[in-house]
Amino acid sequence: MKKYFLLLCLLAIPFSGGGAGAAAQDDASRIRVSVVLVQLNVAVTDNKGNYISGLGPEDFAITEDKIPEKTATFEEGNGPTRRLMQVGPGGKGFTEVTEKAGDPTSLEPSKKFAGANVFILFDTSNYMYRGFVFAQDAIADFIRSLEGVSQVALYSYSRDLSKVAPLTPDRSQVLRGVRSTVAGDDAALYNGLLLTVKDAARLTGRKAIVVFSNGPDNASLVPPEDVAELAQSTGTIIYMISTQAAESEPVSTAVFERMSKATGGKAYFSKGWQDEKQAFASIRDDLAHLYAISYYPAPNSNRGWRSISVKLVGKNLQKYRIRTRAGYRLLQTAQASQSMEESALAAKP
Amino acid sequence: MMKFPLRTVATFVVAFSCLSVCPSLCAASGVPTTPAPPSVETATIPGPLRSFLRMAAVSQKVPAPDVMPLLARNIFMQGYQRGNPTEYLLLLGRYVQQARELQILAGSTNAIHVSNCDDAGTLVQILGYRLREGCGSKNFFLETANPERAFLTIDSGFPLTDLEEALQKGVAFDYPYAPSRVPVLFKESDWTTLSAGQKKGYVNLVDQLINDPGVARLYWAMTKIDTETRVALLRSPGLRRLLPTAAALDFYGSQISIRGGRVVVPGGAWTQVTWRDLVGASPDNPSEFVPRLLAKDNGWLAAYFDVLSRVNESQREHLVENGRLKRFYEDLRGSDIEPPATRGVFRQAPDLLVLFTRVEWEANGEPHVPGNLDVWKQIVRQKTDSKTIKDYNKRVRGLDHPEQLLDAMVAYSRVVTDVGPLQIYLTMCELDKGRVPDKRMSPETVSLLASNYAQFNNWFLVFSEFPDLTDESATRFVNVGDSIDKISNETLRGNTLGSLQANIGLWQILARQGQIPTAQLNSSWQKMIDPFAKITSSTQLFDAARGSLGVLLAAAAPSNGSSVDIVELLAGPRQDTPDGQRVHQELARRIRSVLEDQHLVSLETLFALSDGLSEMSQGKPANSSLITLAGELREFEMPRPIFTQSEKIDWAPRVYTSHHAELQIQTDLTKVMKAPGTRAQLEAARGQLVPFLRDTLVGLNYAYFEPPGAQILHNNPLFVRSHDFTEISVVGTEQFWQTPMLLGVGSPAGGGAYLMGSLTDLSYALAMTEQDFIAPENVQALIWKELVPDLLVSATLPRWWTVSPHELHAVALYQRNGEELLAASTKDPQLRAKVISILSDRMMPARLERAELALQHEEDLAALIPRMMPADTFYLAETFRRKYPGEAVSVGPAGQQLEDLSRQYPTEVSWEKISKDFGVPHPTMARTNSRELLNVKPFPFFGGYSSRLFGESWESTNLYWARLADELGYPPVMLNRLVPELTRHMTAKIFATDLEDWPAMLRAMQEAGDELRQGKIAPLPSTSTTAQRQDQPVKEANTP
Repeated sequence: MKKYFLLLCLLAIPFSGGGAGAAAQDDASRIRVSVVLVQLNVAVTDNKGNYISGLGPEDFAITEDKIPEKTATFEEGNGPTRRLMQVGPGGKGFTEVTEKAGDPTSLEPSKKFAGANVFILFDTSNYMYRGFVFAQDAIADFIRSLEGVSQVALYSYSRDLSKVAPLTPDRSQVLRGVRSTVAGDDAALYNGLLLTVKDAARLTGRKAIVVFSNGPDNASLVPPEDVAELAQSTGTIIYMISTQAAESEPVSTAVFERMSKATGGKAYFSKGWQDEKQAFASIRDDLAHLYAISYYPAPNSNRGWRSISVKLVGKNLQKYRIRTRAGYRLLQTAQASQSMEESALAAKP
Repeated sequence: MMKFPLRTVATFVVAFSCLSVCPSLCAASGVPTTPAPPSVETATIPGPLRSFLRMAAVSQKVPAPDVMPLLARNIFMQGYQRGNPTEYLLLLGRYVQQARELQILAGSTNAIHVSNCDDAGTLVQILGYRLREGCGSKNFFLETANPERAFLTIDSGFPLTDLEEALQKGVAFDYPYAPSRVPVLFKESDWTTLSAGQKKGYVNLVDQLINDPGVARLYWAMTKIDTETRVALLRSPGLRRLLPTAAALDFYGSQISIRGGRVVVPGGAWTQVTWRDLVGASPDNPSEFVPRLLAKDNGWLAAYFDVLSRVNESQREHLVENGRLKRFYEDLRGSDIEPPATRGVFRQAPDLLVLFTRVEWEANGEPHVPGNLDVWKQIVRQKTDSKTIKDYNKRVRGLDHPEQLLDAMVAYSRVVTDVGPLQIYLTMCELDKGRVPDKRMSPETVSLLASNYAQFNNWFLVFSEFPDLTDESATRFVNVGDSIDKISNETLRGNTLGSLQANIGLWQILARQGQIPTAQLNSSWQKMIDPFAKITSSTQLFDAARGSLGVLLAAAAPSNGSSVDIVELLAGPRQDTPDGQRVHQELARRIRSVLEDQHLVSLETLFALSDGLSEMSQGKPANSSLITLAGELREFEMPRPIFTQSEKIDWAPRVYTSHHAELQIQTDLTKVMKAPGTRAQLEAARGQLVPFLRDTLVGLNYAYFEPPGAQILHNNPLFVRSHDFTEISVVGTEQFWQTPMLLGVGSPAGGGAYLMGSLTDLSYALAMTEQDFIAPENVQALIWKELVPDLLVSATLPRWWTVSPHELHAVALYQRNGEELLAASTKDPQLRAKVISILSDRMMPARLERAELALQHEEDLAALIPRMMPADTFYLAETFRRKYPGEAVSVGPAGQQLEDLSRQYPTEVSWEKISKDFGVPHPTMARTNSRELLNVKPFPFFGGYSSRLFGESWESTNLYWARLADELGYPPVMLNRLVPELTRHMTAKIFATDLEDWPAMLRAMQEAGDELRQGKIAPLPSTSTTAQRQDQPVKEANTP
């Protein structure tokens, strides 16, 4: 049974966000099964916004389209991943799965789930011209401040997306990338965000996109709805860091707030780019305190949008607030395969 | 560097330039750092060249001699707006100032040295930064102190992070900061002494150019002229006299060539007298001839001279004989020389170049007349708002001879329109071009098409691409189109337009892929469009669309009966080889992936539902499978809303709503099935399937033309459904049959971009849509919008199913043989003369001159070969073999192999076959989507609908990909997979400075090719016997 569970986890890696999973070979030792692993990043805070730590898998109740789901893995902050089996009457208790060393089906938690991968998406359009260098300073500060994050990438966008620094643990490389960005051209935020979400979608574990933008979009072809859905479906958190300049444009404000909320992230509007310390600390704390919970969806005939609800169990916990993504849509295999193909291309020497 | 909305600017300011003829702009290597030869005058640029190029918006990959020309070009193009300096110019000026400050700091050692943190104050201050927390503190960083200076520091690429890290570590920071010297045209003082008034007094050329856009434009214009000519012009009339005509020289001067003290006039020596009369000075006297030519008639004579110089020799011979040279100019000039030919940012009269390039001549030397002259009398007398046409028609009343028709067309070429008599003439000529003389269009058909030109002109390309379609087919199309336009119910009209146009699109694809037999092209066309002639209800439309689709499927796959899979057909003809089958499957998979991501209902489901409903209306009960199928219609969901309805109304401009998609979501056939409904209700329910059917048919077209790297097609499930066929998005337009426009861009609350218009030219519209998702590898990808769509179309519209290994190998051999000819001509002056003569039909004078110089020195050959466009070497070999049979064989092994291959497989190796398979579509230049290699020089950039002429004249890519494929041993079918992928990579690598930067295209193409060779591109299925495949044709070719 343990092996079966672990196999499921392994197979689900390509689409831990909730897309169609892979199928194992049907031979004597393995079981052919289609799997979908849904991974949630859950922030639990009190009414002052302080993070609540120390909760366990038994404290969370997850439903998908009102169907109760069983937790498969559980992780708090940057702690180790716990593989779980539900036990006890009604399956309400949990026991951890022991992973044997050298077991080919064993996940390596330190590699798979330790720390988050953060993509920074920097608006370098004309809208940022006046505050461009201050925004660069802010991003540099943000990168320096990131702790407990495995890898960071820097992308920038104007009309096109530019992959300035690929995902790397080397902060210096990313900082150089920040100082190499150039300003100008139209703004296609949602185009750029879509491509960034697709890159993030290939990764397992916690992944977040932090957008530095003053807001207006005058060149995107995809609507924010599509981007938000893809981010939710792939379990990618979006944080938006902006200034009060963005608040003069209600469309951007609305999208920033709603899109980040829908993906389990947050939007921040500070006075200016020099004044983003609070936002950085908040994101840093968020990434460090998120509970990463995954489950294999129970049978569900819904092939469209699936709503997710996460609640805390027990009277004492009801005073706390939960922030996570609102649901996901089953990804088309076509999208999945395209994504994988691009990944394969990128992996070529 | 400041990336101002370059593309936006580019669309209206870039028509001036002609990078491909700049002094050394053909070089494909990186920025050379070696100093210029001592004999070449140089100018000083403060600071590193790399930083300056960033600030000046010049590609890092240009060679040093091209820096000043491109700087000059950018200054006059982007530096001023209504006489005021733009942000671009301000930043450039500030940067130069900052660089000079840093230069002083660097001192005589030309190196900035900071030994430690305490020593960094001055440098950090110049850079616009300050030390946060101070030296020695734990959290020591650099932060912005002076945003204006800091911006320059960042934009110019100063290594700020290196400085920061050095200071943090307490180690010295050293940065070479030598001034850069770049070659100057003539002497620096020739330019710095040109200006008058406030603009004079500068001793440095950079300062001079920044402060005087007139001088900058003249500088740019002069660099596009060949060396001998510009030296002659410098001598006399001199730069000062040329300065007032800088605009004309820039637009129309690149073809001016002075040889041996004489201006080479288009048409040859015997036209010198006519040119003397036209210009008012003899070509023997360049110092008078050139300035007069440029100034005459507000630049119109220069424009005429330029066009005649650009067309190939055989066309030009026609155009200058029988008094045409002078007469045509009088036609063009007309009675009014306003507006000037130099007005604005685009060259004028683009269709004069198209007309002179494409006009057909009868055997008796007269121009071709489609229909007859009586028809044209009606056409030219049609009501018009054009003053030019009215004036001409008033002045010249007779139209009794073909010459007079051509006269009129020349006169009309100054009219800015895309639906005037000239455009009709050009289209009708192209329609006739592919037809045998006795099958040319009748006067009645010409009249009918002309009178409906404004509405249907974009669809007439079908008839030029498929000349087997008869007059009757064209007539039926117009009549069906008219009847659809009269459908009053907007929803029904939209669905009818979409369904018919989608089926026509599918017919074109299958016909283009050779799946509809030639003998059935005409009959299948007629049977396909006839069902749409009288549509009055949705149910009737469903049956018509289904029946129409059945006709073309039956024509394409007669043996498959009703079980034919349209996707399999679209993916290409049936393949017998493993490679062919693999590629076929791959293309089918791609088509299906778009259909799935757009959540389109399968044709099988729709037809089964229709059949089931029909049976129910005849009394049969509904079965459970039918209800399950009806459930499939409801699987599509709208994306989760981010905005409320009222927010959408407030924040989205009044654009097309998702009404069509919302109607589908409301469709629930299960009710009528379960009830069951009355016969009328069941029939009406069949009508409810129409929107689904339309979308699937339209989606098949979209999927077929999926550009490489497409994202919208996979991520916006409303994209196909949102296609606005009835143009309700824009009030007052009823151009239902025009090429689609992209709407909804940059409107976050509007639900995403979509196309409005018809399905004609869909491949281009999709390329326009998806192009921005190809992430450029370089900052400067300026030519994106103007060139990339055409580049993508040349990779998505063609397929290569009928190319044999022999043909593929021949494409490579032609190019290699062209290179052999170049190599051999370095030692053989007679051969060199022949080579240059052939290339003169394709290369601009300045570029030709450099090629000629390189061919005189064997050591320069290695540098020349990579700078030659594949289309040029291909053309050289093909023409040489034709003009001098047998001579090309001896110049090298490729020539010999080509000769052998040609003997064995004359059809596969023929120009016609290769041109058809490896040419690009020329919908603007040749009014057809047929592929063809045209023997033309690169077209300059024009405004408006003619802007595509420029992209259509780039024909090298597919020839180059074919050569690569052959050399790497890929079978020809693999081109279907390789070409889009390589084109995507090439696009990402474009690093250009201006629109006509052909060398940048060549560089990007070669870089993509190198990556393929290195295995970095495309996980292509391994070919079974790569080496064998490569050797096979050669062996065969070597076999007598």
